[in-house]
Amino acid sequence: MIKLNDIVVKFGDFTALHDINVHVKEGEFFTFLGPSGCGKTTTLRTITGFISPASGTVFMKDRDITRVPIEKRNIGIVFQSYALFPTMTVYDNIAFGLKIQKLKKEEIDKKVRDIAKKVDLTDEQLEKAVSQLSGGQQQRVAIARALVTSPSIICLDEPLSNLDAKLRVQLRNELKKMQKEFGITSIYVTHDQEEALTLSDRIAVFNKGYIEQIGTPNEIYNHSATEFVCNFIGDINRLEDGIVAALNEKGAGLDTSWHHYIRLERLHVNRQTDADHFVFDAKVESSEYYGLYIKYTVKAFGQTLRIIEKNDGRNP
Amino acid sequence: MLNEKRIDSTFVFRVIGLVFFAYLFLGFMVVPCWNTLTSIFTEKTATGDPDPFAVIRFFLAGNMKQYVWNSLKLAVILVITVNIVGISIVLLTEYFEIKGAKILRMGYMTTMIYSGVALVTGYMFLYANDGILTPLLTNAFPGLEKTWFTGFGAVVFTMTFACTSNHMLFLRNAIRGIDYNTVEAARNMGANPFKVLLKVVMPTLIPTLFSLTVMTFITGLCAMSSPTLLGYDSINPEIVRLAGSSTADESFPQARAALLSIILALFTIILLTVLTAYERKGHYLSVSKTKAKLQKQKINNPVANVLAHIYAYVLFIIYMTPVVMIIIFSFQSYTAIRMKRLDFSGWTMINFFGTEDYEFLTSRGTYKTREGAISGVFSNEDTLGGIKMSFVLAALAAALACVIVVVACNYISKHKKSGTFLEYALLFPWLLPTILICYSYRTYFNSTDVWYVANTNLYYAENVKLLIIMAYVVTKLPFSLRMIKAAFYSIDTELEDAAKNLGSGPVRTFLRVKLPIILPSVLAVFALNFNALFTEYDMSATFASKYGKTYAMVIQSMTMDEGLYGYNVNASGRRCASTVFIMIVSGIILWLVYGVGARDLSERLAAKKRRQEFFAKRFGGRKLKTEP
Repeated sequence: MIKLNDIVVKFGDFTALHDINVHVKEGEFFTFLGPSGCGKTTTLRTITGFISPASGTVFMKDRDITRVPIEKRNIGIVFQSYALFPTMTVYDNIAFGLKIQKLKKEEIDKKVRDIAKKVDLTDEQLEKAVSQLSGGQQQRVAIARALVTSPSIICLDEPLSNLDAKLRVQLRNELKKMQKEFGITSIYVTHDQEEALTLSDRIAVFNKGYIEQIGTPNEIYNHSATEFVCNFIGDINRLEDGIVAALNEKGAGLDTSWHHYIRLERLHVNRQTDADHFVFDAKVESSEYYGLYIKYTVKAFGQTLRIIEKNDGRNP
Repeated sequence: MLNEKRIDSTFVFRVIGLVFFAYLFLGFMVVPCWNTLTSIFTEKTATGDPDPFAVIRFFLAGNMKQYVWNSLKLAVILVITVNIVGISIVLLTEYFEIKGAKILRMGYMTTMIYSGVALVTGYMFLYANDGILTPLLTNAFPGLEKTWFTGFGAVVFTMTFACTSNHMLFLRNAIRGIDYNTVEAARNMGANPFKVLLKVVMPTLIPTLFSLTVMTFITGLCAMSSPTLLGYDSINPEIVRLAGSSTADESFPQARAALLSIILALFTIILLTVLTAYERKGHYLSVSKTKAKLQKQKINNPVANVLAHIYAYVLFIIYMTPVVMIIIFSFQSYTAIRMKRLDFSGWTMINFFGTEDYEFLTSRGTYKTREGAISGVFSNEDTLGGIKMSFVLAALAAALACVIVVVACNYISKHKKSGTFLEYALLFPWLLPTILICYSYRTYFNSTDVWYVANTNLYYAENVKLLIIMAYVVTKLPFSLRMIKAAFYSIDTELEDAAKNLGSGPVRTFLRVKLPIILPSVLAVFALNFNALFTEYDMSATFASKYGKTYAMVIQSMTMDEGLYGYNVNASGRRCASTVFIMIVSGIILWLVYGVGARDLSERLAAKKRRQEFFAKRFGGRKLKTEP
């Protein structure tokens, strides 16, 4: 569907993207994940046409669109701020793109009301100013506006970042539901690992203008390709030499020429263990109670380790 | 192909824009003012030899220094008096708990709806030699001369109360922005309200006070209407006098006028540079995470409390007396105004509409009647002519300034480097006193040698209107730019991206997306510019042309001898009615700007709904069209 071949983007002397290669498949929910300034938004803006790459090619359905103007690419965008026109009503916001396409009034009306229904916006809400809507409703307007012109793909640039935590979770679920309903190819930009893991079919993890890894959420989390991905996706302990040696004595067979990492939830404190678990003594230095789980800081073989243990009421 | 076309049209627009702004900047800002500057050094001796320093020698040897000194003296005294009154009225209405603060505030804010020549003539109506309050004052204070309201004292008195509008706007906002928790913290540590005021509140107001001080100083230095009408020899009236003088009467008057306007410009530039440098430091920013709204402080000491109340109401009386008296007398008959006595049975609208015959005693001892000589503002040809002239000139100039600035801001917001040049070019008139610009126009364009205006003498006859419009536009550019640029920068850049993504071209994006967002600000700037220009006196007085006689010039002429041989009859009545008319116009404009104009779409939709419900109810539930 969308293919980026060796994309390089430069801002003056600074290279923002180094040879980016991505292939987003039809109907896929694909996420660009990474910290601020890693190049994820730049990649998205290259796809949408706001940035021209210094070299490389952007393909959409095998057609080279690298030099195609923004408005001819047929890509819907949901912006970080939603970019809803404040001087227009909800109806006019959604109808804006259709009016530019010079469709008949009746046709515009039908399309606007159809899409509004699909994203759960009432007729009454259509006549309101966008400032009169809640954050969630505004997001739906932004999605409706992006989808009403029947784009080939939809790009979402951190659309949940301005919302509070509770609303973010709620809208994340709605977003996923809507994407499934519309079946549209979606490219999603975020710096939030949780968002990326819960929403995506596949994720590309960006760092300093490079892609560190592309994979499914499971691959990214459980089989991280680089130390950066390891650290960026969830908390992790890096095992130092002392602990690696101790584990090898117990038959772990870890290659000492490599670095080894273990997720916090893979370590347990005072639990009945299965046969494939390794048991060693450690001293609990502190514990933080979170309700659903408890976080421990323990010391073993001279190294500090962090552990997350599910709270089942039997924790020490 | 499509791209090439767009590049071509963009390029053409850019070239046209560049040529236009270069023409405006060089042709109407730099060249005329440069001509004024050089004219100082082009004088010749009696034998015809060049004498570049003749004017400067004249300045140093003669009494010209006196005008500069007088202006400086006025500026320094005003800084003290305006700050004392300005700070007190803000503290009395916003910081201390004073009974009737809302009414007091309205009184103190009256200078916002009438200022300049209307205000000065209003004060003259009360306090001048034949003013309505003069007998009362001379009776109350036997030592007071009937002519007390002239010269330096009168100018200081009038301008002290006329120039507090900025305090009511900016200092009021600053004091409202104070975090009340800091006041509470100081009180908690044992500070009394006055200590809190001095040690906590005042230091946070210092940046605003500094800006206000500089602005007041410049106002004092460039004062025009008060010194002209009240008879004080300061720089501006002298420039106007010299500009109209000829070499037959005195030595190189034009060059002297040029020197005085350049001196004024130098002072302005220095002061504004100091102000800008100070503002850049950005002191005293609030560090509060969450601000608490300021609560008014009760003055616990009963004596201080009573004194504060007395002071507040004395100021209120000073502010309100001219307003009330003018409003009342604007509905009084010609005789009542002449006799300075209220006639409670003779209310009339004659000062606004209609005419009456005027009977007067001739030098031969016979009575003569001049038909329709007592006329109202809207029946008097001269006054109505001035209103129409000011209306057209102000509306055209205000609109033109807005259009130029909107186009410029659209460019500046997109092109940072070249946009900066354009921005500075449009801010350039800020450094120049308006009198320098107008004087420069008057002298430079009073010739058929200026090729870039098609060798037309723009000061000649009706052409002067064009010159006045240009002067109005140029002097309003800096203010318009500062306001509209701020509006442009508040536009989310993603909106433009969104419009582009939905297929909208640059023109459509500008007209449908950006312009509606900045439109309230543009209209506000238009209204404020119009308001200022409609009653503007300084510039039209500098041009001093009968073809460009503005409303303020007409009002000024109303202060001349009244009724002599049947001329200028009922000028005082029209003066009062004019002030009332100006108050109404300004009041409506301020209401439109800050009331209606500040509404966002949701408020406008709510108002529309209310209107529809009202009409539906009123016209028997007839179904109204609500669908788009």
